[in-house]
Parts: sequence; structure tokens; C-alpha cells
Amino acid sequence: MTHYFKLQYKMLNRHLSEFGVHPVVGYLLGLLCFVGLSVYLFYKTAFASYIYVFLAISLLVNPGKTKRNDFLKSCFSKLDYLKTRLLENLILVAPFVGFLLYRACFGEALVLLIGSGGMAFLNFSRPFTQVLPTPFYKQPFEFTVGFRRTFLVIFFAYFLTYMAIAVNNFNLGIFAILLVLFTCLSYYFNPENRFFVWIFSLSPRNFLWQKIKVALLSATLLCLPIDLCLAVFFPEYIKIVIGVQILGYLYLLTIILGKYSAFPRALDLPQGILIAISVWLPPFLLGIIPFFYVQAIKRLKEILE
Amino acid sequence: MIAIKHLSKSYGPKKVLDDINLTFEKGRVYGIVGENGAGKTTLFKCIAGLEDYHGTISSDYDNLKNHIGFLQTAPYFFSKITGREYLRLLANARKIKVENYDEKNIFELPLDQYAVTYSTGMKKKLALTALLIQSNDFFILDEPFNGVDIQSNMLITEIIHQLKALNKTIVIASHIFSTLNSTCDEIHLLKGGVFVKKVYQDAFAQLEQELKDFTIGNKVEKLGLR
Repeated sequence: MTHYFKLQYKMLNRHLSEFGVHPVVGYLLGLLCFVGLSVYLFYKTAFASYIYVFLAISLLVNPGKTKRNDFLKSCFSKLDYLKTRLLENLILVAPFVGFLLYRACFGEALVLLIGSGGMAFLNFSRPFTQVLPTPFYKQPFEFTVGFRRTFLVIFFAYFLTYMAIAVNNFNLGIFAILLVLFTCLSYYFNPENRFFVWIFSLSPRNFLWQKIKVALLSATLLCLPIDLCLAVFFPEYIKIVIGVQILGYLYLLTIILGKYSAFPRALDLPQGILIAISVWLPPFLLGIIPFFYVQAIKRLKEILE
Repeated sequence: MIAIKHLSKSYGPKKVLDDINLTFEKGRVYGIVGENGAGKTTLFKCIAGLEDYHGTISSDYDNLKNHIGFLQTAPYFFSKITGREYLRLLANARKIKVENYDEKNIFELPLDQYAVTYSTGMKKKLALTALLIQSNDFFILDEPFNGVDIQSNMLITEIIHQLKALNKTIVIASHIFSTLNSTCDEIHLLKGGVFVKKVYQDAFAQLEQELKDFTIGNKVEKLGLR
């Protein structure tokens, strides 16, 4: 059991190193971000402690997946397996419990502790195998897979649009567009298996163009119901809707180019920083996009030519 | 024709392939045999251009990679993609228009299910179907018979014969000697990253016996099974 946790620790360190961060710096940054976001959440809403418990419990879903647990069960005795799950869950919720105690939310902390213990006995069933139809079947990959993973978020954004109209809150509508656009961006966060780039008989330039074209068309399809609703019910703000949509396209372009500028590796820290700066300062995109484009062409040449 | 000259590949200090020289002609089927870790998959990845290497690989094609159908030992599938979508993805990648995917589904796979839910053999058959749809000229088949049922094995053997008749080049790695025996024109033995032997059809039986003698030897006796 000790060996298992040592291995987990080593794996985490390796992930941080691959991301370009020294593990010690990574842990410090992680702690700072955690404390910062926690303070912000408690400052922003009175329901923070409930959201906090919900967030912490949702973190325990992943370790409870059946396939992973089948493997653990095959490695450990029944007792050791349960001890491992309990300890794992406790480690994951410990920072949340600590902060709840600091905020004197003793009841919530207790609920979280009991909940995390209870979650150790649960295994989440095998993945949902029912095939969800998508409008992206003609160009299968990012949007087909992404839509099936995040369709609830997309429908939630449509619901927010309805609410925006119902309560006459344009900002909520804009938030719905941003939610869909960010979800679309997330489809490009991780690099695919090298084979799925190699198979294309396209030049790097055409490959990128093809990816961008599919991304822009598919993102438009998902955003269109919100855009149209906002255009009809808030015609005075149409320019803002168009502006947000164009900005979203630019970020989509940046993420795609960024992804292939690092390919086959995942985006690393320097690239992440560049993207973060562009979020803070959008005109920075004018420099980042050509930079990522040149890098992406260079990377893709190694695979496609 | 594809000519490999002085190909070497190292991972850090470990040399996996050492000065490989080999020529693949059109209309011929080549078998590559070797123990696990002998370098077969690495060689295939080098030919496909999925790994860097030292040496040269030349061919009659302007960009060899665009003519290769590479069946990997364990093909990768995205978690939420159906068999039909996988076929379409690989066809799109080579700009191939397919009217009816069901017609091409000779292994009778459940194309409208997620590919990750397929068994090992079904995944292999799906990946092979996609390569066949791409109309490649050069096929690299890494363990095509592994995990596949007997009926499909027979079908794959027939497909290889057909591809050969169509003047395609096929390179197969397999640990099941009988499958190579029934498909290959020549077999190359890879050992420790070096080709140590090349045999033609008339000497396949002798090679199989040699492999048996060398591999089995008295190893089983050492176990002292009771």
C-alpha cells in the first residue's frame, strides 16, 4: 500500500516536470491557487460552503471509476483495497476540510469527511455506452467526441439563454455564449495520438486550415441558437454579441494553433502563460496567433512531410 | 519499391535497430519475425515516419507516408467515437469518398457502437477495414491475426492474397508462424535489432523448426512442472 502511494506521488511529480514546473514550485503554486480561489469563492457568495463540499465530493468521482478499481481490487486484498480508497479520498478532500475548518464551517467539514469515507465504498458504473447522435458526424473527431462528453453543459447554456430572455438579463446571455465557446476550446486542450495526425495526406498548412475550418463551423453551429435568440430579444446589443463571437473564434484559433505548436506534447507552461496573457490582454492575440502558426507548421512538417 | 538503407534507431543509450538494410518490392508479402522487443514495431514506426531514425528510406512515391496503411498492434480509439465515425475519419484523412460504409463492413462489425466497447479482435478488424478503405499501396500489418477469431483470420489471409494480386506491398509481423506460412513470400528474422536471416517459401518449414528448437530448448524442463 505504501508503495502504491509512493508511486502516485512519483507520477504526480512526473506530470509536473513534464508540464515544465519543478514539483516543489508546482505544489506551492497549487496551494496558492487553491487558497486564492477558496478565499474568492467565500468572498463572493453566501453558499460557498455548500459549493465547496459539492466540488470536493465531485473530485472523488474519478478515483471511483470501475475500471481503475477493478485493477486495484486485483492488486490488493479486500481490506487493503478499502484502506487505500479511504486514504486516497481523505488526501483529496483534506485541503477542503482544512479550509472549511478555518472558516468555522464545522458541520460542512464533517459532512465532507463522512461523504468522502462513503465514496470509498462506491464504484461508478462503466462508461455510458449509449451512442448520442451529433450534428458533426461528417467530420468526426474533436466536436463529435467533445459534444458527447459535454452535451449537458451545452444544453445548460441553452437553458441559461432562455433564463436570460425570461428575466431580461443580457449579461446572462453573454455568459451562455462564453460557456459554449469555452466548452468548444476545451475540445482542443489535449493532443491526440500522433497516429491521428499522421494519417492525413495534407500539407501542414492545409491540415491546419482544415482543423480551423471544422472548428469554426462547428462552434458556430453550437453558438447559433444563443446568438439568434439574443439578436431577436436584445437587438440593441447585437454588436456585443458579434464582438464576443469573433473574440471566441480568435481564441479557438489560438488554442488550435497552440496545440499543434507543441504537438505531440501537451501545451507547456510558457505556452500556457502566453495564452493566459492573451485572455487578460486580447490585442496580444495579434502577436500570439502568427507565432503559434509558425511553430505549428514546423511541428507538423515533421509528421506530415 | 521501398528501400531501407543503414537504418538505425536508439532510445537513449539503447540501440533498438542497428544498420537495417531491406528492400520491399511491389506485389510481394514480407514476414518479419522476432521475439518481443526485437525491434519489429520500432522498425514499422520508422518506415511509417512515426519515429525519427538514422539512415535512409526511399520509395517510388512522392510522400511514402500517404501511401502506407499501418495497422498497429493495439490500435487507438477515441472514447466516444463509433466504428462508422472511425472509418469516416480515416477515409476523410485520405480524401476518400465512401458511399456506403455498410458495404465495406466485411467483418460485420457493429458500426454504430462506440469503438472502445469493441473486443480486441473487433478493434483490430475495424482498424484493418479503415486501412483497406483508404486504398493504400503499402501495408504494414503489426500482429494482424492477434485476438482475431478463426473465421476472420481466414478472411484476413484472403485479403492479403488479394492485395498481393493487386500489386501492393505487404509487410506482416506475427507470432503465429502458420499465418506467415500461408501469406508470405519471404520471412526475415529480426534479433536484437539486426536482421539475422532471410528465408524464402521453400525453407519456411526449416525456419519454423529452427525457431522452435532455439526458443523452446530445455526451458520448459527447467520449470520442473509437476
